[in-house]
Amino acid sequence: MTVPEVFLSPEGMSVHQDASAKRGRFVAEVIANTALNPHHYRLKLRLSGSAAKAFADTIPGQFAQFDAANLALPPIERIPPELRESSGRNLLLRRPLSFAGITSEAAGDVVLEVLYCVLGPATLRMTTLAQGDTISVIGPLGKGYSLPAGKKLALLVSGGMGAPPLQHMAQWLRQHHGEVEPVAFVGARSVSELPYSVEGSKVSGEPSLCVSEFARYHVKSMVATDDGSLGYKGFVTQMLARWLDHARLSSGDAIIYACGPEAMMAATARLASERGIECQVSMERMMACGIGLCQSCAVECRGNGDTEYRLCCKDGPVFDARDVVWEEGR
Amino acid sequence: MSFEPDISVDLAGVRLANPVVTASGTCGYVDELGDFVDINSLGGFITKSITLKPRKGNPTPRIVETDAGMLNAIGLANIGVERFVAEKLPQIEKLKVPVFANLAGQEIADYVATAERLADTKVAGVELNISCPNVKAGGITFGTDPVQVEKITAAVRKAVGRKVLIVKLTPSVTDIAVTAAAAVNAGADALSLVNTFTAMAIDVETRLPKLANRTGGLSGPAIRPIAVYLVNKVYNEVTKNTEVPILGGGGIRNASDAMEFIIAGATAVTVGTASFVEPTAGLDIARGIADYCRRHRVAKLAELVGSLR
Repeated sequence: MTVPEVFLSPEGMSVHQDASAKRGRFVAEVIANTALNPHHYRLKLRLSGSAAKAFADTIPGQFAQFDAANLALPPIERIPPELRESSGRNLLLRRPLSFAGITSEAAGDVVLEVLYCVLGPATLRMTTLAQGDTISVIGPLGKGYSLPAGKKLALLVSGGMGAPPLQHMAQWLRQHHGEVEPVAFVGARSVSELPYSVEGSKVSGEPSLCVSEFARYHVKSMVATDDGSLGYKGFVTQMLARWLDHARLSSGDAIIYACGPEAMMAATARLASERGIECQVSMERMMACGIGLCQSCAVECRGNGDTEYRLCCKDGPVFDARDVVWEEGR
Repeated sequence: MSFEPDISVDLAGVRLANPVVTASGTCGYVDELGDFVDINSLGGFITKSITLKPRKGNPTPRIVETDAGMLNAIGLANIGVERFVAEKLPQIEKLKVPVFANLAGQEIADYVATAERLADTKVAGVELNISCPNVKAGGITFGTDPVQVEKITAAVRKAVGRKVLIVKLTPSVTDIAVTAAAAVNAGADALSLVNTFTAMAIDVETRLPKLANRTGGLSGPAIRPIAVYLVNKVYNEVTKNTEVPILGGGGIRNASDAMEFIIAGATAVTVGTASFVEPTAGLDIARGIADYCRRHRVAKLAELVGSLR
């Protein structure tokens, strides 16, 4: 395995990589599983021993495969009506989820923070996890975001459930790259679809410490909602474009990290290209294995002349935005 | 006294240390599983399908989960036989476990050329994929017509020389015994059944198929009882009184599932979709089969092949 670029400090020195750390299948213990609102949950998991070693240096954008197939269903009255039919289905495959944060504890344990949205029978089952329960995880998987040398400003652009890995990125940059200033642009269709417990108070379209998940790392954030229920009214990419219009930045100093629905990432990629800013996107695909066996999660990329498929699980999920063949360009 | 059963089996002259073989397309070329399980602990390894020229595969979505199963339409994405020989064979040569290369193609000539390229290599044999439901030409169109099955099997038989030739059959036919007999008559050393069932899933909100390819192949526990039946049928009607072993599979997740196939008539079993969920599934199942033999005081697993009462 080649050393991801991100392990290199700007001077090219290798930092904090443990050669004994090996991805694998591990059992994680539930510390807490908290409902942020009816749809979004924050799951905190503890990993010990070899699992802790494997996950300690996880890069934002990497993910794990969670086995929810054998978890209990909530009582029928707590199952949202739209999920009642599908909830009884026999699940087979694991579910890939990225992380919102990773913290090393004094005892050598690692705490994984996962934000998930209840969208189907697997995430519905995950809501019944309680403190002390265990869940099987395979990871850490895939290639995360990387930081090219010389960057001073990181623009973290998320749409909906794309927010967690960018929260992880804010944490990671603060811990390992003090020379880079992160600013978060958080988008969602509506305030109820933000995976955060945002206070109902007025949030401006100007950078502020408004989203507590970013504020805890002293990272400024802005919120955009399509319906204007919180923050800027419009798409997060429109908010970003306006912000870039007013920011006095040298495009070579900045990098955009994006995660969200594909149309939102395509728009971000286009904006980045217009402004001459590097951009990395974290893609999402249906996947069975997560480790390169099943070939399900193909992402169409520019190759030599023709396009080629790369695997979201192994070659990604993070790709250079210029490499991806976006839908409208097909 | 601990009782150590012999769970090795003979697959057309190739000794497998245990009866568990990876199903094609579920464990990569050979190296992808290495972080999770020692490949040498498996009975055998079947590569994902290899074609003469590289193939990009189908657009996404390529899979969808269904009730106790999954549908896939990968479209035989692979690096092609030349890169396989250059990049993957050196790794295969280091393994102790017998490795079988799965071959696919659009025309008989493609299969023959690919087989010839592998005839002098260290692979233990080839598995002929004439049952892929997810490509427009070749694949399943060969496997559903007994005349074509005979033709292609005979042609590849010549091309692979003394290497073991396994023919993988599709269950999407009226009578699988007919295509099985055609393969055996044309010189197949072993039969592999079943490939996935052609199937479909529809998003009722949008009225669109859930797969970009519209249809796909169904695998997983949902198909297991049908696969057990088909193995038993082919065993009874075609292979019982021959030397031709069956490599049986379809939805195997644990040792009991595997034992169903062996009792039904399979000499060895393929584990596929289960590896997507638990990368160690093959090894876990091999251990479970040994436990089964201990529990039933069976000295030699091979004695249980086709032992259905």
